Amino acid sequence: MQSLRILLLPAAIAAAFGAHAAGDAAAGKNKVFQCQGCHGIADWKTAFPEVYRVPKLGGQKPAYISAALKAYKSGEREFATMRAIAADLSDKDIEDLAAYYGAEAVNTAEKK
Amino acid sequence: MMKTRILLSAALFAFATGAFAASGDSEAGKKKSAPCAACHGENGISVSPEFPNLAGQYPDYIEAALKHYQNGKRKNPIMAAQVKDLSPKDILDLAAYFSKQHALSVKH
Repeated sequence: MQSLRILLLPAAIAAAFGAHAAGDAAAGKNKVFQCQGCHGIADWKTAFPEVYRVPKLGGQKPAYISAALKAYKSGEREFATMRAIAADLSDKDIEDLAAYYGAEAVNTAEKK
Repeated sequence: MMKTRILLSAALFAFATGAFAASGDSEAGKKKSAPCAACHGENGISVSPEFPNLAGQYPDYIEAALKHYQNGKRKNPIMAAQVKDLSPKDILDLAAYFSKQHALSVKH
C-alpha cells in the first residue's frame, strides 16, 4: 500500500501541473537518427508533388513537438514519412526528442 | 529568337537563385500578424508551450502549413478559423514576416 502511494504521488503531481512528462534531452540526442536526414539539413525539402522546406526544429516548443509527433502517430496529421517514423516511437521517445529539439533557449526576441 | 533567349536566361537565373517561389512582403505581413500574436507572440515567439514558435521558420513551410489548415489536410479548430479568410497573398506576407524573425534553427 505504501509503495502504491509512493508510485501514485509523482503521477498526481504531474497531473496537477498538467505536465507532459518531461523528456530527457540527453536521451533524445541519441534518438535523432531518423530525424537528422531531413530536419538536420538546412533547406532540405519535401518531395514531389508538394515541395517545401521541412520545418526547423531547433528551439521549437517541446509540447508542440510532442503533440505533432503524437498526431502523426495516430494518423490525425498526415504525412507519410512522418507517420512511418512516429509509428515506432514510444511516448518516452517522443518526449525525449521534444526535449532535445526544444532545449535551445529561444524565449527572447533577440535579433541576430 | 533573341527574345526567347532573354526569356530563357531570365528563367534560368530565377531557377538558379531559387527565386521561383513567390515571396511575400514582410512589412505587409507584420500588419496582418496581429491576430497571430495572441498565441504565437508578437515576434513569432509563442506565449504558451503548446503553440509553436514561428520566428525564423522557413517561409515555404509556414505557407504550406497555413494552406493545409485551409484545405483541411491539417486539422486544428483554432487554426482553421484563423486561416479561413486569408488570401494567398496574406499567407505569403505572413510567412515572409515570421520567417524574418529570429528564434528557430536547424538542429542536427
